[in-house]
Amino acid sequence: MFGLDYSWLGDPVYQRWLVDGVWVTLQLALVSSLAAVAIGLVGALGQTLRLWWLDACIELFVEIFRNTPPLLQMLFFYFTLTQIGFTVTDPVTGLQHPLLSAFVSAAISLSLFGGALCIEAFRSGLDAVPKATLEAARSLGYTRLGLFRRVQAPIAARVCLPSLTNILTNLFKTTSQASVITVPELMYAAGQVYSDTFRTLEMMLMVLLVYVTLVSLLAWALTLAERLLAYPGYGKGF
Amino acid sequence: MTARNQSLIELDGIRKSFGGNEVLKGISLNVAKGEAVCIIGPSGSGKSTILRCINGLIPIDEGFVRVGKHRVHEIRHERGMRPLRRQVAMVFQQYNLFPHRTALENVMMAPVQVLKHDPGEVRERAIALMAKVRLAGKESSYPGELSGGQQQRVAIARALAMQPEIILFDEVTAALDPETVKDVLTTIRELVEEGMTCLLVTHEMRFAREVADRVCFTDHGLIVESAPPAALFDTPQDPRTREFLSQVL
Ligand SMILES: Nc1ncnc2c1ncn2[C@@H]1O[C@H](COP(=O)(O)OP(=O)(O)OP(=O)(O)O)[C@@H](O)[C@H]1O
Ligand SMILES: [Mg+2]
Repeated sequence: MFGLDYSWLGDPVYQRWLVDGVWVTLQLALVSSLAAVAIGLVGALGQTLRLWWLDACIELFVEIFRNTPPLLQMLFFYFTLTQIGFTVTDPVTGLQHPLLSAFVSAAISLSLFGGALCIEAFRSGLDAVPKATLEAARSLGYTRLGLFRRVQAPIAARVCLPSLTNILTNLFKTTSQASVITVPELMYAAGQVYSDTFRTLEMMLMVLLVYVTLVSLLAWALTLAERLLAYPGYGKGF
Repeated sequence: MTARNQSLIELDGIRKSFGGNEVLKGISLNVAKGEAVCIIGPSGSGKSTILRCINGLIPIDEGFVRVGKHRVHEIRHERGMRPLRRQVAMVFQQYNLFPHRTALENVMMAPVQVLKHDPGEVRERAIALMAKVRLAGKESSYPGELSGGQQQRVAIARALAMQPEIILFDEVTAALDPETVKDVLTTIRELVEEGMTCLLVTHEMRFAREVADRVCFTDHGLIVESAPPAALFDTPQDPRTREFLSQVL
């Protein structure tokens, strides 16, 4: 059909490469998404303490990791750290290895990048809860912690879910950049396959389809969560 | 002895500035148990600020605030405010309901989560209160599904669920349209008649005249004049009171 040749897909070796690639992509996305959300929570919570030095640290973190390309961060963690001496020596072979494996480097940089975005998103969610609503909670005897847990966080969570959906879907797609530092994820596996088969167009179409499917599933799940949590009169509530 | 006199609420010489702007310039006011006191006055004269000082939402710069046995100005931590907040409930102009919880949950939340009362017992109390404010049947509606007047009555039920001794009302009808104002005022009037101690900031002069034991007129951070409603409305002594009343009546 359209002169596309997918006969190579029957080869169990290529199948293995691609399935493994998808699996690594999923792992990388899952690990960095969870870590990003955790960093976001810690950062946004840290800022509610109103300690100037902590605020300054968080601000610096956000500026650095939000405003640099994740690819650059991956290269930094994988290559630059090695070049400036962060290596481990294999006790058996005596060879020098990078301190951080390619996967770990990618996971760290994606977590930090996503984390910086999450801090911003969660912070704006917390800020979006009206002062008057918090004052009402205080007048009912809620302490700061109770107020945060029972009123501010539940409202803020609903406010930031749409931006969280954006961040996580973007993060998922950004995992493909890990192929540059040889993480054997989907993009890397695809490259391996087409450099063997020279069926670049076919491979790219397929990779495209896989990403569309996976990212759509993720976005759909998050939108569903948004719907379930919505309350009438606001956002997706009616 | 914490109390200087017999009243339930005692304010003496309260001063409060926001930045360089002195908003309260020495407010003194006593409210006895069971009394209904209305505060009237021009916008920006510090009426809301007075109420917020009474339940400790904002700290004062100078002066003495006592509610029952609590010396509010001496409480330093939010946790220490708890017994006070239990005794003094507040109803706001913009209702300030919790939008992510149903009407009944709004009423039940604080008694269960803050006072640790038994949920089953609170539930019964909350349902009875919803009926009292004439909202039986609206228990499972979210605030976003209720009209302004209904939301405000939920807010009153939420305040009552804390079983307070005092309720502070801050212009609770100002955001409502005329028909719904009546429902809310009826609810408040019933509370006053039942002997609840109420301090009400209001622009409803007719209502103030009807329900208040005493009316205070504030201007530029001072209580200019304080008298029973008939006296204050019919024979105001201070020229500022006269001018204000001539504008609003
Ligand atoms: N948190 C705050 N920070 C700074 N200024 C404030 C704050 N709260 C009140 N003010 C100022 O204090 C003054 C009195 O405010 P307040 O809300 O007590 O007036 P009010 O008498 O209730 O007026 P209104 O009838 O419009 O509600 C106003 O000039 C207001 O700008
Ligand atoms: Mg006000």
